[in-house]
Amino acid sequence: MAVAAAGRRVVKAYGAGETRVLALDRVDVDIASGAFTAIMGPSGSGKSTLMHCLAGLDTVSEGEIWVGDQEITKLKDKKLTRLRRDRIGFIFQAFNLLPTLNAAENITLPMDIAGRRVDKEWLGRVVETVGLGGRLKHRPNQLSGGQQQRVAVARALAARPEIIFGDEPTGNLDSRAGAEVLRFLRQSVDELGQTIVMVTHDPVAASYADRVLYLADGRLVDEMLRPSAEAVLDRMKHFDTFGRVS
Amino acid sequence: MTVLRNSLRSFLSHKGRMLLSAIAVLLSVAFVCGTLVFTDTMNATFDKLFASTSADVTVSPKEKEGAEGTEGAGQSGTGKPATLPAEALAKTARADGVRSADGVVTSSSVTVVNDANENMGSTTGAPTIAGNWNDHERAYMEITSGHAPRGPTEIMVDADTAEKHHLRLGDELRTIAATGERTAKISGIAAFEVTNPGAAVVYFDTGTAQEFLLGDTGAYTGIAVAADSNVTHELLKRNVQRALGGPDAFTYETQEETAASSADDMGSFLDVMKYAMLGFAGIALLVGVFLIVNTFSMLVAQRTREIGLMRALGSSRKQVNRSVLVEALLLGVIGSVLGVGAGVGLAVGLMELMGGMGMELNTSELTVKFTTPVIGLLLGILVTVLAAYLPARRAGKISPMAALRDAGTPADGRASVLRGVLGVLLAGAGATALVLAARVDEASEGALFLGLGVLLSLVGFVVVGPLLAGVLVRGLSLIVLRLFGPVGRLAERNALRNPRRTGATGAALMIGLALVACLSVVGSSMVASATEELDKSVGADFIVESNSGQLITPDAAERMRDIPELAHLTDYRVVPAEVRTAEGERTGAKDLIAASPTYAEDLRVETVAGELADAYDRDSMSVDQAFARKHDLGVGDTLSVGFEKGETARLTVRAITSSDGTVDRGAFYTSTATAQKYLPQGELPLNLIMFGSAKDGQEDAAYAALKEAMEPYPQYQVRDQADFKQNLRDQVGQMLNMVYGLLALAIVVAILGVVNTLALSIVERTREIGLMRAIGLSRRQLRRMVRLESVVIALFGALLGLGLGMGWGATAQRLLALEGLTVLEIPWSTISLVFAGSALVGLVAALVPAFRAGRMNVLRAIATE
Repeated sequence: MAVAAAGRRVVKAYGAGETRVLALDRVDVDIASGAFTAIMGPSGSGKSTLMHCLAGLDTVSEGEIWVGDQEITKLKDKKLTRLRRDRIGFIFQAFNLLPTLNAAENITLPMDIAGRRVDKEWLGRVVETVGLGGRLKHRPNQLSGGQQQRVAVARALAARPEIIFGDEPTGNLDSRAGAEVLRFLRQSVDELGQTIVMVTHDPVAASYADRVLYLADGRLVDEMLRPSAEAVLDRMKHFDTFGRVS
Repeated sequence: MTVLRNSLRSFLSHKGRMLLSAIAVLLSVAFVCGTLVFTDTMNATFDKLFASTSADVTVSPKEKEGAEGTEGAGQSGTGKPATLPAEALAKTARADGVRSADGVVTSSSVTVVNDANENMGSTTGAPTIAGNWNDHERAYMEITSGHAPRGPTEIMVDADTAEKHHLRLGDELRTIAATGERTAKISGIAAFEVTNPGAAVVYFDTGTAQEFLLGDTGAYTGIAVAADSNVTHELLKRNVQRALGGPDAFTYETQEETAASSADDMGSFLDVMKYAMLGFAGIALLVGVFLIVNTFSMLVAQRTREIGLMRALGSSRKQVNRSVLVEALLLGVIGSVLGVGAGVGLAVGLMELMGGMGMELNTSELTVKFTTPVIGLLLGILVTVLAAYLPARRAGKISPMAALRDAGTPADGRASVLRGVLGVLLAGAGATALVLAARVDEASEGALFLGLGVLLSLVGFVVVGPLLAGVLVRGLSLIVLRLFGPVGRLAERNALRNPRRTGATGAALMIGLALVACLSVVGSSMVASATEELDKSVGADFIVESNSGQLITPDAAERMRDIPELAHLTDYRVVPAEVRTAEGERTGAKDLIAASPTYAEDLRVETVAGELADAYDRDSMSVDQAFARKHDLGVGDTLSVGFEKGETARLTVRAITSSDGTVDRGAFYTSTATAQKYLPQGELPLNLIMFGSAKDGQEDAAYAALKEAMEPYPQYQVRDQADFKQNLRDQVGQMLNMVYGLLALAIVVAILGVVNTLALSIVERTREIGLMRAIGLSRRQLRRMVRLESVVIALFGALLGLGLGMGWGATAQRLLALEGLTVLEIPWSTISLVFAGSALVGLVAALVPAFRAGRMNVLRAIATE
């Protein structure tokens, strides 16, 4: 399997001495290229931190992070910014769009910032895939929550990044709108060959992924391939009890 | 109590965001208090000076005011002070209750120069005074080195002047008076026992002073009377009056009256200064209002959820409203208290500055009246609370539901239609008033329209500002921001997202810049009009006059007459006279210009009837068109001219001059010879100005010779036409610079407003900034985005201000065309400089906000509520 991103013995610690807390405790992880990976775990398990470190948004205390064949933990802000701009896409839980730009402008923003030409054909395909055709001139406040997240998905896809990171991308949506967004993500993996990493605590969302990674107390504790919602839920219950006991 | 505690906590937690508002309040209050303290101190200093230099009772010749010539704005005079006879002194000394009476000789029609012909006088417009050293002077002057002057070759000088010009005992000083010149060695230096802000004072012994300054050893210019103990000044005044033959023989003043009348002259000048400075402080305060309104609007918007929660928990509208006002009150109190303190510091700074310019003031005499802090505090607090009133009301209207809603960034504020209509109506009314002002025939009427027009158009622009922001920012963006690609577009959208905020921020800058533009238009029109008028009417090659209003002494005039390269030299004397019609009816006209016949060549004045040259014939004169029309005069009619101190003459009108010009408008001309004929010996006024023309081809030599001739007389300036125009430009430029300097305060506050808006906007957009950084906007791009937004807001304000100001300036010029401001000149270089400078201001204002935006932690920014 080709690896799009990887973490090696990643440690993220807050504080020092007595009050030192490990958010990530020597995590080794490989993100498969062209696949949809979900990261699950209870609150405080470190799943968001892991995603932020992999995406070059946060710094690590120890270990290495690889995006493609580049080790990024030593990069300065300028190079990291460029990395995020050119090779990574983001979908956040909420507030994904700039209120001053319309949908189309939001979608092309990363490319505009980079000064890259927009591939019209590809853009058309992305817009069509996420079904936004008629709303491209709308401002975010004229769009529903689901539509806004679809614009965010389109923005992430349009720049053809190596990896898209989603941080609870459906967390603020009702189940129908959420399912729609997840279908698009699935579709982009299947049809466009996109690599996606998504942090979620929703078993249904995780069931759209090819592979689910489980994090607890800053450690990678399990994984599941071709998950179903029921199976994920079962595993989660197990971890919850496990977590409580330990 | 809870409300107060909540406000206090909220205030403290937002103190960073309040900082710039507090500075704005502080600056305005400081300027107000500084002005009050400074002028009060000046007043106190002069009061003290006049009180200590005035005798218990002063007797002076009965004389019309300003007749001595150089005091005040007097343009006529013989340069010799009026006198009273020595017998008066003897009679006064014998009066009841008189402890001592001193004969005083004093003249301010003098110039004192050192051996390098440098003027020892004050550079601040304070007089140079020469007098006799007597017992009265000893009461407030102390000889600090050397001895009192004795004999015709000794002079004593005041310590401040000696220090300023590094004078030492034994140095020679030349004193120039209308009656002649005298060189004497410094025998002593005497210091004022109170603060003397500027006058240069020299003393001779009494005999020398009488002979030199009055040309009469049996005369004095006044008598200083000291009272016996137990004799009141009033009683002494009555006794002296009785001894000297009643109240009509002389002028008698008690110490209080002398001090009061001196202080009045000074006080009116200080009052003008005080109100002008307070006016500028007021403008700064007005600009500060915009800043405060913006701050509280943004704070309220950012706290929508919190306020919603308070409402949901049961706070009433009134409580929410009040909690915001209490925060404003705290801001006002802190800003004003600091402002009062800073104001005292500012006053001290101003006094030091004045000291640097040659005005001696003593900081230990700093006068802080009880009313000063009261005014400062009241003003600062009231204005702050009033400015916060609208945002507070808006806060009260927030519904409890706001607590439940996802706040996100506040919705884009939309400018309402009502606002548009109101603004356009106001601006329209203002424009109408301005057009009316430009059209009136009567200047006084026009001034009213102009004032109304300025006020209405300003308010209109402020109201309609948010709507204009939409249009102008888009326009500016097309030109400026498109160069910067997507970052420029983001900046444009940010500037447009809340038009009300952008409008208010720009309007604050608009006010100051409108005044700058208006004054620069008026100023350059003034120079252009005067230059055109000079080119058109002045034929003389050279103009000799004094900057300080000193008349030209006969000795100086004589030196110029001897210059062979001059074709002619023209007298120009202002002769006080009362003009009546032949029937003896008063016309109200005073003053004739007595000039040489060559004046007709030096100043080309159009005549509507007769030849101007004929007016210089014996017993002839000219009048101007308006006067001739009013009194139905024609060439050949006679007027009765009563020369002050002379006889009444019947002069024939030989020419009628046009009333169109501005130089000498409305002047009546007659020849020097005619004036001389009806005035007693020695009563012919000195020349106010002299004009000269060179022989053909000898212009340069004549100019050099004139300058050389005036070398020993630094009080006079010789100028050719080019120099004259340059001097005019310099004077207008100086005046404008002073006003710009005072306006700088308002502009600084407006710049703080831009910084404030940007800083608060960035706090408000934290999440957006985090998002943009996450998806790849570099720090540099982010900073550029903030800077561009700032530049656009500044340019928007500049565009409004300059446009409005040029409109005002052009109207003022049309209005003043009646007063001779005939040429409209828009100083495009200044205007474009200000516009370009505004872009720079935008860049500077964005420095800190852009830096802070760039430094934001991406993750934390995304996670922000």
